[in-house]
Amino acid sequence: MLFSLRELVQWLGFATFELFLHLLALLVFSMLVALRTDMFTPTLSWWLVFVPLFAADGLSTYFTAIVSIRLYQENEKRLAVLRLLWVLTVLSLKLVCEVLLCQKLAEQEQARDLWFGLIVSPLFILLQLLMIRACRVN
Amino acid sequence: MSLAQRVLLTWVFTLVFLIMLVLKLDGKVQWNWFLIFLPVWVFDGILILMLAIKMAGRCKPGYDPRNGSPDLRLRAWYLAAMLLKLGFCLTLCAKLEKLADVKLTFVCIPLWTVLLGALVELGLNIFPERREA
Repeated sequence: MLFSLRELVQWLGFATFELFLHLLALLVFSMLVALRTDMFTPTLSWWLVFVPLFAADGLSTYFTAIVSIRLYQENEKRLAVLRLLWVLTVLSLKLVCEVLLCQKLAEQEQARDLWFGLIVSPLFILLQLLMIRACRVN
Repeated sequence: MSLAQRVLLTWVFTLVFLIMLVLKLDGKVQWNWFLIFLPVWVFDGILILMLAIKMAGRCKPGYDPRNGSPDLRLRAWYLAAMLLKLGFCLTLCAKLEKLADVKLTFVCIPLWTVLLGALVELGLNIFPERREA
């Protein structure tokens, strides 16, 4: 649409398979949110609703570790370290945001001090990093 | 538009939307949800306009469809995806403003359609040999 897949892969630093994984997780997550909200199922806790997102982060980390090890073995050491660092930074920022949001939703009374500005702050950092990376890729 | 310009466009609208969303969720502003989604409307409007212009460009006399640009079906899918996303945002705003008593499942149907379409497109890119078969 606005970006081709090649540009997206270059900019975000994720492989196509990883993008597929995160989109699939988002789809399952949105279905669980709708189920949780509409059916009023108390057995479905917010931590369970967020499981697809956590699983996608875990699988993406595993995939990146394997790719980085392969790159390292093929003597692309600089590329391997850079890729690992970038993906781990992005995934950890995403994970922090998800955990904070989940905690806010799951423990609304206890997490009253947890304001949304704080929850979204990892995303603000991520946006700055993505802008810097876009300048480099361009 | 160069990649940097497109990234800047996306970045600015995402940043403004996130800031407005956080202000609304934290109760710092009492604005209408449709106003909070203003960056989304503007961004989607720009994208739809760009897509419509590109699709209209194919109707010009002497246009060569073999010049490497994506085919019309793909552009039509992009346009449909944008309209579905717009539909999702509109119904979500209506639900949040309590203008319509719709279940979240029905609100999410356009979003799920877009996500499924994107998954199919990505899947075809991951396994290109199956596309030719």
